[in-house]
Amino acid sequence: MDAELVKTLLHFVVGGFLVFLAITVVRDNFGSRLNRATGGVLFFAGLGPLAVAIDSIMQQPAPGTGGSAMYNLYHMWELFFPTLVVFSWYFPVDRLREFRHPRFRYFVFIPQVIHLILVLFFFDIDRLLVTVSASEAQGGFSGALMRPFAYVLQIMLLLIGYIISNQAAIFGSINLLYVAVAVYFLESGRRLQTNPRLVPQTEAMVWAVRLGIGLYVAGLLGSLLAASTVTEEVREAIFLAAALVGTVFVVYAIVRHQFLDVRLVFRQSLIYTVTSAALVGLYIVIGVRVTEFTRPLFGERAEIVGYILIILMLLLFQPISNWIDGAIRSMFMRTRSDHRNIIERFSRDIISVFDPTELRRKIEDTMKTAMLVEKVFFVLYDDEIGEYAILPSDDYARRTIVRRDDMMLRGINLLDRPTSYASLADYGEGSSLADTLTELRVKLILPMKDTEHLLGFLALTAKVAGYRYSPEDYNLLGVLSNQMVSALTNARLYVDSLERIRLQEEVTMARQIQLDLLPSQPPSLPCSVICAVSEPSRTVGGDFYDFIQIDGRSRVGIVIADASGKGMPAALLIAQIQAIIHSEVNNGNSIAAMLRNMNKQIALSTSSEKYVTLFYGELDRETGEFEYANAGHNYPILVRSNGDIELLEIGGPVIGAFPFMEYQSTRVGLSPGDVMFFFTDGLSEAMNEMGQEYGEQRIRDFVRSNRHLEPDDLMKGILDDVRAFDPSTPPQDDTTIITLKMTTRGAVLDERQVQDIR
Amino acid sequence: MKLSDRIQDDVVILEPKGKIMGGPDASLLHDKLYEYIEKNQKRVVIDLAQVDWMNSTGLGILISGYTTLRNNQGELKLANVTDKIQSLLTITKLVTVFETHDSVEDAIKSFER
Repeated sequence: MDAELVKTLLHFVVGGFLVFLAITVVRDNFGSRLNRATGGVLFFAGLGPLAVAIDSIMQQPAPGTGGSAMYNLYHMWELFFPTLVVFSWYFPVDRLREFRHPRFRYFVFIPQVIHLILVLFFFDIDRLLVTVSASEAQGGFSGALMRPFAYVLQIMLLLIGYIISNQAAIFGSINLLYVAVAVYFLESGRRLQTNPRLVPQTEAMVWAVRLGIGLYVAGLLGSLLAASTVTEEVREAIFLAAALVGTVFVVYAIVRHQFLDVRLVFRQSLIYTVTSAALVGLYIVIGVRVTEFTRPLFGERAEIVGYILIILMLLLFQPISNWIDGAIRSMFMRTRSDHRNIIERFSRDIISVFDPTELRRKIEDTMKTAMLVEKVFFVLYDDEIGEYAILPSDDYARRTIVRRDDMMLRGINLLDRPTSYASLADYGEGSSLADTLTELRVKLILPMKDTEHLLGFLALTAKVAGYRYSPEDYNLLGVLSNQMVSALTNARLYVDSLERIRLQEEVTMARQIQLDLLPSQPPSLPCSVICAVSEPSRTVGGDFYDFIQIDGRSRVGIVIADASGKGMPAALLIAQIQAIIHSEVNNGNSIAAMLRNMNKQIALSTSSEKYVTLFYGELDRETGEFEYANAGHNYPILVRSNGDIELLEIGGPVIGAFPFMEYQSTRVGLSPGDVMFFFTDGLSEAMNEMGQEYGEQRIRDFVRSNRHLEPDDLMKGILDDVRAFDPSTPPQDDTTIITLKMTTRGAVLDERQVQDIR
Repeated sequence: MKLSDRIQDDVVILEPKGKIMGGPDASLLHDKLYEYIEKNQKRVVIDLAQVDWMNSTGLGILISGYTTLRNNQGELKLANVTDKIQSLLTITKLVTVFETHDSVEDAIKSFER
């Protein structure tokens, strides 16, 4: 193999591969401007080496010497430079959108087209000059006709001749200028690029241009400035290297960084082509050289050994090819952008994210990096407000509510897969959501539905740099949307559970505060024995009791109350009641006035369905007289020592239901042995498995028949009886009991005893 | 609680059934009342014949209904009050507030007077 043949082969292979690459890139997505521009760059870059190779095969004179129209087609490759400029306007930032007249971009081709015309039609300028001179010198009619034009033609031809003889310098400079412009746009575009997926793509493409163009410029300047030292061969080798380096980087960008968002199939076939071609090339070299290696070892039998080796190599071709293919594939194809990888990474990433904002960020990042989506908008159902809201990607806190009857929302509710926004046009009429989505330049809707509801949807704008959504993208989005639904649901449940824990903590704290409000022990009075108990149900309850020492009087206040409902509202109401009672008692108001004031305050400050049943009485330690008012509370039982029963029912309606109510109080005299039994409805309404209530009558009977017991034992006895009747634990409702038994008619307390009361 | 409603002689008759125990029951009755108030139907009788049981929250619902109607210049009366509810009204002394009647017809007639 002589050097000329190797050179021709190399030119042919490099040029052919570039053209092949150009055709494949354009065919992969003909609709994309970027693909067409890249294809153009690759095609014209490939034309140069191809023209040299074809020319060499046809045994034409070497380049630069001029001579034939066929040879001068070689200059077509210069269209590479304007194409590169156009490419740099598309990638990585599409600047053509800003152009007022995008068609003017074709004007950049003018110098190279002129050059082409010149070298194709005026390459043999001397012959043209001779023809023109001959026509002029000719006598007769035609000579006379030609004479006036001949001078102009001669001047023009001389000018063209000058240009042609200096074409390398003139058009080389123009090409260099174009290179500078293209590099400027690529570099500035690279700095503008923020999409993490596009940054490495841009880097690889910029390197392709830097190295390829750098080598070309070096070769061109070398031959211009130091023509004597840089031979034609060296210059050509440099140009060839430029094309080769550029190609390698373009292929690298496509395969490794999915430049042009090309499909997996294309990238795999590209790898297959490259590895197969490399292996075949290696085999040809070995095949040609095999006898050179075998002859010194095997002498005469070298030929046979050579054949055996070749057969062995052929048998091993497929396994070796597969191995190389697999190795390269594992090195290049496991990129972040492969769909399987995206799904794996996405599900791994979002499974542990429970913060809704963080989750939205992750989803948005995946859409932007894996799918090259320019912008992502979330339209999600908000549990708090019970509406759908648009959350712009730059600020999730700024949300726009979507009307529930919006036509577009209804249309999206019918979707079960990613759908192009354009196909929803029928639902756009009169829809403010549609107006917003159109304004945001949304191209694709990704619905997110669980088994029953539309949780919301993602609105995706176009992909960056004009890439289109492929059928594979639609499939991928379908899979991702399912994962997003589970992630969003998990996040919501997690937030709910946190909220529940927080509420539980608050309830526990409230329960503690409520217990602290109850007196730690009943007062010890010389005239009577009092004991009290409050058994809570599972939540914060509405039961309350208290004993109040009244300043300056020989009276002790006893209060038992039950707020309607349960939980925090009841607890808060009770806290309010306690504060009012203490303040009213210390103001020295009568019991009736006290309840009237309390009722008014509570009724005006709470809604009417919140009320308290309350019993308040004051025992005079000296006289044994008991004055009370019952505000709608279960009637306390007074069992006389002889077994007679009186119910303490005088008073007025419940506290807090209606603002203007009157209450009346009354007095009863107490004697030794008399028992007063106060309770809340948790005791009377305790219910057995048959659905029967313990009931007030049973309480009265129990107290009457056990009136001789100490208050403590009486209380324990009735609690045991009720628990035997209704064994549910914890009790269904709060149960509070106060038992008071008169021991003497009354006595004056000393100061120490007064202190003991609280 | 289930709630059915009808109009008889220009009076709204609400018929709760089951237990009145708060929770969703409250909004059920409340929404229904507002529905009629908006239609300017403000004379309401609650027929308690089919109510088995009512707790303190349930009583709160009745109080709320009474207040709502009264604040809208309407009137709420109770009919067929069962023993259990009667005893609740007695203990809480709301018998003085709620007007009760032995039958729906009596309650309707009481509006005509």
